[in-house]
Amino acid sequence: MTPRKQPPPESPSDIRRRTHVILSFWLIILFLGLPIWWWTTTIYRARLPLQEMLEWADGKACRPVFPLRISIQANSLQEQEAQNLLRLTQHALDDLNDFSGHHLRLQLSPPSSDAKQTHDSGSALTIRLIPGETTTATLDPLEPVLDITYPPNAIPLPTSSSSTLATYVAAQLRSTFAEEQATISYLLSTNAIPSEHRPQGLSPEAAESLSKRTTRSLKYAPTYHLTFSLFTSGPLPSSWDIEAAIDEYMKPVLDVLSPIHNFTIDTQVQLYATPGVQNQVLNKEDLSSFINAAEWPLSPSIGGAPTINFIVFVGNQTIAAASQSPEDASGSESSAAHSWLIPQWGTVYLLSLPLDVTHLSVASLKQPLLTFTSHLLSLTGTPQSGSLPLRLSTLARIRSADLLLRASSTLGSLARLALALPSISIPRSVADGVAKTMAHLRLACETLGGAEGLAHARIAEAEAERAFFEKSMVGQLYFPDEHKIAVYLPLLGPVAVPLVLGLINELKAWSKRRREMAKRGEEKKRE
Amino acid sequence: MKLTGLLALSALLGAALVNAKHTSNWAVLVCTSRFWFNYRHLANVLSIYRTVKRLGIPDSQIILMLPDDMACNPRNAFPGTVYSNADRAVDLYGDNIEVDYRGYEVTVENFIRLLTDRVGDEMPRSKRLLTDDRSNILVYMTGHGGNEFLKFQDAEEIGAFDLADAFEQMWEKKRYHEILFMIDTCQANTMYSKLYSPNIIATGSSELDQSSYSHHADSDIGVAVIDRYTYYNLEFLETEVRDTSSKRTVGDLFDSYTYEKIHSNAGVRYDLFRGGAEAARSRLLTDFFGNVQDVEVDLSKNTTLEEDLLSLSKTIAALHRKAAEQEATMKNNATSERRAQITGQKKTQFAKPLTDDNWWTKKILGATAVAGCAFLWGLSSFLEGPGR
Repeated sequence: MTPRKQPPPESPSDIRRRTHVILSFWLIILFLGLPIWWWTTTIYRARLPLQEMLEWADGKACRPVFPLRISIQANSLQEQEAQNLLRLTQHALDDLNDFSGHHLRLQLSPPSSDAKQTHDSGSALTIRLIPGETTTATLDPLEPVLDITYPPNAIPLPTSSSSTLATYVAAQLRSTFAEEQATISYLLSTNAIPSEHRPQGLSPEAAESLSKRTTRSLKYAPTYHLTFSLFTSGPLPSSWDIEAAIDEYMKPVLDVLSPIHNFTIDTQVQLYATPGVQNQVLNKEDLSSFINAAEWPLSPSIGGAPTINFIVFVGNQTIAAASQSPEDASGSESSAAHSWLIPQWGTVYLLSLPLDVTHLSVASLKQPLLTFTSHLLSLTGTPQSGSLPLRLSTLARIRSADLLLRASSTLGSLARLALALPSISIPRSVADGVAKTMAHLRLACETLGGAEGLAHARIAEAEAERAFFEKSMVGQLYFPDEHKIAVYLPLLGPVAVPLVLGLINELKAWSKRRREMAKRGEEKKRE
Repeated sequence: MKLTGLLALSALLGAALVNAKHTSNWAVLVCTSRFWFNYRHLANVLSIYRTVKRLGIPDSQIILMLPDDMACNPRNAFPGTVYSNADRAVDLYGDNIEVDYRGYEVTVENFIRLLTDRVGDEMPRSKRLLTDDRSNILVYMTGHGGNEFLKFQDAEEIGAFDLADAFEQMWEKKRYHEILFMIDTCQANTMYSKLYSPNIIATGSSELDQSSYSHHADSDIGVAVIDRYTYYNLEFLETEVRDTSSKRTVGDLFDSYTYEKIHSNAGVRYDLFRGGAEAARSRLLTDFFGNVQDVEVDLSKNTTLEEDLLSLSKTIAALHRKAAEQEATMKNNATSERRAQITGQKKTQFAKPLTDDNWWTKKILGATAVAGCAFLWGLSSFLEGPGR
């Protein structure tokens, strides 16, 4: 029985080569494989100024202040008298005002000889003081001008510390801007602005009516699509002079709104349209389901802008008197309502016509379009009191405050999201968008109240939305550990086993060789 | 005094925020399974689709996701139709249906994109969930699921964590007012267990380790046509909620679930809802399944006011135009002067790349690659040379 045959001894060069092979494998894994794995699997997260973003959302970065300049024009007063009156009025105003965010600042405009050209564009309102018999105040319908007449004895003496005229002017100003002030303070209060910036004294009724109004108006968009639809219950009428009617009855208002919104217009006609409710007399509950959403083509989805629908329905249905508001129900039968407004959506107008009308003329469209026009104003959120120019400038201010707050809250959402979801990727474009948003927000905050402020707020809002809704910030965020094992094990297991075992064998052999060397060394020493 | 006023105000605002009504209703109805033997899942979704449409939600506010087309399946004995009952009384497919995501478009990614609205400019408005902080959303999902996941199309799955994160992103961006989340799948209750965003009422068909069973099969169609949970939901909605004026509440619907009917323990989750179980149970079913709008009837008023408004805006527009024209002429004068100065020094424009980011890096990279190839070729020919 021969002993088991041993393999021939390995030459030292072979051993060295094997060591090198194993080492080079491991070097490649450690210095090439691992970094590549790390680099390709990490989620790119651009650095966001989270603290600053949260400050914007909490209203700490910008205190929305509307310094409204109001110029007083008193051609018939002495410079000294006018200054005195201004000072007293400003005092009275400051006493009345309890909301620091909305501040009226008076200034004296140089007396101009031209009585017509009174209003300068820098100020929100011009007060024209005219001597007269009694104290009266009227808003100019065409320009943001408040005409105040005063009796000659009302001019305060330079020494007096109070004046009825000054108090009167202050009270008039306050009532003129009351709605704007309430709206802006409502906006601030619903946007989690810290309470010390909030005004006090918003009555429950005011808050409710404001909340109703904000529910009714659409979210701000730079462009709205207006869709005019004619639905008829029978075959007639089959055509309408809608273009001429729009030009006649709606275009002026659209022109006036054009600094704030753009509008595009579409029209359509559909015959034999069945409404969602067939009752002859429509109750209030019926009105909300009157629109036959299933069959009427009312969602054209044109472009990216929201649609406002204006519907003329030709049929013989009427609105029940009981569904109208109580103070109106007392009216006679002939003054029954014909239309209703659907919040954030549009208007329906019921038009009853003789059976043989084939064509709707401009004249017969007058009433519906006038209704649509006034509803358009309330759908865009225009305030209801004051003269038209004032209402429009107020709308611009309310919208810029609204946009500013919305952009800030979007920034806050993005920041909280970045903190809450550590595995969401944040591409560089988001960081750019955030930077741009904040730059424009800062500008908007500085120029709040003017046209420039609105423009900046608009850009800021658009940029913030784009940053938040960045397309690539999606994907499955959560992978359980089981998944990771299931993916990596079949891939890396077969590769890792020989590599790890090879390394272990090599280390063992190396330590064995060392021990032998040491032993031999000792033996040599002993010899 | 001032302090009490402030307290009263904040209390009032808090109340106003809680009681704030929603202004629009949306529905997201998702089926996640393909193939003929999953006929019932498509029928589930389509019958819920019919119900919300019957109660007034317009197609533009319903997002319907159908991964397969049962109506046109070659095995369908009744082509062009889908039924959810063996009596075949109502054709769910009908001639008026708007499927927003169809076939292989129904993916986890698209679903999350839809919820979070992270879509490109190319996405039409009809396929987007354009909700705001005043929108109530009904989210209904059905398919095959397991513990904390729901399978999409045999290829991928959505986890309970992903769903919860998507809802949280919606809440952060104020994209909903209240959500009713319903899910009909095996072990469905695990899917909503990870939700953590407020104002969500969630309900599912079965507990952990329970299956969700089908209700009955149609022997002519040859497969099961509806699941039990959906069937009894529909039965309740059809008998008790006949139109939008119904006063039935969410609590009434949930109380109608029994083990005898569904053959599994349907689950309900109220704790996320502001006001807890009581507030959640008192919500009307039409708040989620119907389209209730708070319309405002016009006062019959005299028209002079509106006509005044019109004439006013006419004059104001004219004034604006005049001012703009004046400004324009002034500007024109100024620019024409300037142009006169500039005309002497005109510049020619060079061709420019459309995007100039990393332009040089790319060039260098390309050059390096070409040089590297050339070097390799040279080296190899050099090494080959001596051997020959």
